[in-house]
Amino acid sequence: MSEDLLNYVVDYALSIGAKYAEARYQIDEYFTLILRNGELISVNKSVSEGVGIRILHSNVLTFAATNKLSRDELINTVKTAVGRARALSHLVKTPISFSEEKLGRGSYEVKVAKDFNSLSVDEKLDILSDLHRSTTTSVKEVSLPVTYCEYVEHVQRKMIVNSDGGYVIGNVPRLSIMFNLVMSSKQKGSLQRLMQWGASGGLELIDLWRPVQSVEDEVRRLEKVLLYGVEPPKEPVDVVVGSEVVGLMVHESAGHPMEADRILGREAAQAGESFIKPEHVGKFKVGNEFATVVEDPTIPGSFGYYEYDDECVKARARYLYKNGVVCEPLHNRQTAKIFNTRSNGASRSMDYSSEPIIRMSNTYLKPGGMSFEELIEDIRLGVYIKSYMEWNIDDIRWNQRYVGLESYLIVNGELGQPIRNPVLELTTAGFYNGISGVDKNLAFYPGTCGKGDPSQGVPVWFGGPNVRLSNIRLGVTV
Amino acid sequence: MSYELLSTCSAIASKLATKYDEFAVMIYEVNNVMSKIINNQIALNLSRNLYVIDLYLVRRKRIFTIELSTSDLSQVIKLSDDISNYVGLIKESELYSPLPEVKPVKPLSDILDRNVENYLNDPRQICELLINSAINEGVDRVAGTLSLSIITKALVGSNGFEGLERGSEVTAYLRVFKDDSSGQWAYGGRSADLRSLEEVGRKAAHYALLGRKSASITPGRYDVILSPLVVGNLFELVAMMASAFYVLSGFSIFMDVKQGDKVASELVTLIDSPRDIELPGSTAFDDEGVETYDKEVISNGTLKTLLHNSKTASKLGAISTGNAGWIVPRAWNIVIGTGDSGEDEMIKEVKNGLLISNNWYTRFQNYVEGTFSTVSRDAALLIRNGEVVGNVGRVRIADSLRRLLNNVRLISREYYSIKWWEVTVPTKAPYMLVSDINITRPFE
Repeated sequence: MSEDLLNYVVDYALSIGAKYAEARYQIDEYFTLILRNGELISVNKSVSEGVGIRILHSNVLTFAATNKLSRDELINTVKTAVGRARALSHLVKTPISFSEEKLGRGSYEVKVAKDFNSLSVDEKLDILSDLHRSTTTSVKEVSLPVTYCEYVEHVQRKMIVNSDGGYVIGNVPRLSIMFNLVMSSKQKGSLQRLMQWGASGGLELIDLWRPVQSVEDEVRRLEKVLLYGVEPPKEPVDVVVGSEVVGLMVHESAGHPMEADRILGREAAQAGESFIKPEHVGKFKVGNEFATVVEDPTIPGSFGYYEYDDECVKARARYLYKNGVVCEPLHNRQTAKIFNTRSNGASRSMDYSSEPIIRMSNTYLKPGGMSFEELIEDIRLGVYIKSYMEWNIDDIRWNQRYVGLESYLIVNGELGQPIRNPVLELTTAGFYNGISGVDKNLAFYPGTCGKGDPSQGVPVWFGGPNVRLSNIRLGVTV
Repeated sequence: MSYELLSTCSAIASKLATKYDEFAVMIYEVNNVMSKIINNQIALNLSRNLYVIDLYLVRRKRIFTIELSTSDLSQVIKLSDDISNYVGLIKESELYSPLPEVKPVKPLSDILDRNVENYLNDPRQICELLINSAINEGVDRVAGTLSLSIITKALVGSNGFEGLERGSEVTAYLRVFKDDSSGQWAYGGRSADLRSLEEVGRKAAHYALLGRKSASITPGRYDVILSPLVVGNLFELVAMMASAFYVLSGFSIFMDVKQGDKVASELVTLIDSPRDIELPGSTAFDDEGVETYDKEVISNGTLKTLLHNSKTASKLGAISTGNAGWIVPRAWNIVIGTGDSGEDEMIKEVKNGLLISNNWYTRFQNYVEGTFSTVSRDAALLIRNGEVVGNVGRVRIADSLRRLLNNVRLISREYYSIKWWEVTVPTKAPYMLVSDINITRPFE
């Protein structure tokens, strides 16, 4: 796809009366291996290639996508979109406009140390089969009825041109592995664990993750949780929430409610609205001094990495909550204009056929200076929740629940007996006001964040340190 | 119909024949428009016109699949050439089974509503109808989505199968607000049925208005009426778990269950209904060219069959149920058996319980045991002695799916055709009254 053709599309849209036009060529290539019990089921390749065109015409913001890439087809796509916009224009009451920005003109690329072709497919399969083998040889008293594994290489390339002078080329390779296991005991029932690794980069990530060793260690611990886990204490206790859970909590209860489109009601019928209102920015206190949540697309090697968003706005780190106060929502140019501010570069699209919408990238709770041992040393009786399976949060991001998987009692400042399925069910304010300590061990975990209709899943990291919450009443699953 | 699409499939197939022992080529052509309603007005209009090409390739019992969203046919051939290089490097698939023998397929008629073609270029009338259907009931604010599609599907297989289908799809859902209360409703069908579309606004407004008075509830076990939106969300997960692939992969409550075992209350019947032409998942043939047929997955509480393609069927000693998915079998349309009650009659039956009008974010702690939770959104109505007394706001069903299925006590006569963000498989769902369900909310 040539830059000239994208410019032609933008110019044509302007020539028939568009106030704004943008053309984004995007190609997403995936290579996927699926294994069950260490045995290959199938090899999949997928390519999604096309152009997404966004036009502001007749006061209607219209998005059109096609993978028919001739000049004539692209122009027809513009004409059809504009025709439909005209038909709906009288149903628009509030004119749409964008914030003034100095848009980027440049390119960015994630360099890999080991190309995806540096290992052959059989060498990759050996590693993935080892994941299964290592789980079965690591347990002694339980059975593992099934493991399931998906290995995904993804290369995403974008070329974006818009009528306000933006021009950006991006190239990001990503690697991810998902491994699910069911562990079963005749006496104690079963547990299930889904582990994930994901980042931008190449096959050097496998050396970094050491997934086989990681799985072996975890499966040994989970065996003890299944066999010897007891119910959590019934009385309120201090709860130490592990990085994996903290990361998810800040994604759900700081990242999502701070999406400006959600605050404005644009996702009302799908992913919902937000407990945060426009007038809360810079004023509303959601937590205590530990409640500082950062959103940063520019973390090198991250799963949610980008340098320019899909409106060609330069990416940067933002404070969502700062010392407990609602600070800076995630914006695109449309919401920034409404909030009378500048875009902070949060506009992303899953693929060419998806409209750019406000998305998280890498979200984390700011770590402190303590070690984990210092964090728990003065807890007489408490619970440490290291990992989870079930979670959810309500549609305004206030009422949230996380069910621990690998969890332990804390007794007199030390980790003790494993606990099964402790339920942390609390409000967003309850979480951010309840933090009584954070350690220095910042860790990130990958996820695919869903939003929009048609639904768009985009890669994100979420993370944080280990966090101590005071005086929490835990529940149990049925 | 688009015989051109079938010719393209055949042209690709002829190039695959030299490199692969078995193959199938499927092309979807999608013409879609989606209008987004936000704060009573149109905020965005999306148009998509694209090809999706899927290939199934087998050589020496190694299985490869390719998905392409491109109109560049040279890419299709290049990728199929590239992937053939892996044949010598990998083992045969544990799920391999030959593509099934071709048998006659009775085509579906009347799956294309020509009105949808007209509305594609001018969705104004339906958008206005949707907004006004709620505003006229007295609500403050309307948000939602109208999606109109014409989808053509062509399939050519090395087993000799050739199939072509062209159908329409209409999906509409609205979330409406009155003061601090909200209600939601949805429609999914083949036709632009204006009466059903108008009902979306009316039903959503009904719950928004009913939920204006607030009430409180303490966590515990309650009798709960699930609206068709909630039934659709939960039974879609039951149908997913009935896919033999998910049973084999450890994502199913049916992992330790045999055909003929009781898995639900005898009131519960779940049908995969690809021949129901009112629902947009209807199709005459599956991805392997097998003729589809309607089947009870759960019949009066008993597990009758899993959903199979030829591979899972071969692995588990069954026969294909016409639900391929080359790798993962799936339900086409879901129809939940109706009962002899009504929404109002159910409310009168409840002494101390809830009516949950909508839910989202259903997640499992353990798919095999079925422990899960889901969060209510929109009106969650407290019922005392047969009367709605107020809206308890956002609460959670936190229970076991197995228990929930077994505790179904009443099912309504009326049902609704539902498809929306949280019900992705088109579903005809009734109201259900379920006993003794665990309801939670934050402790503080």
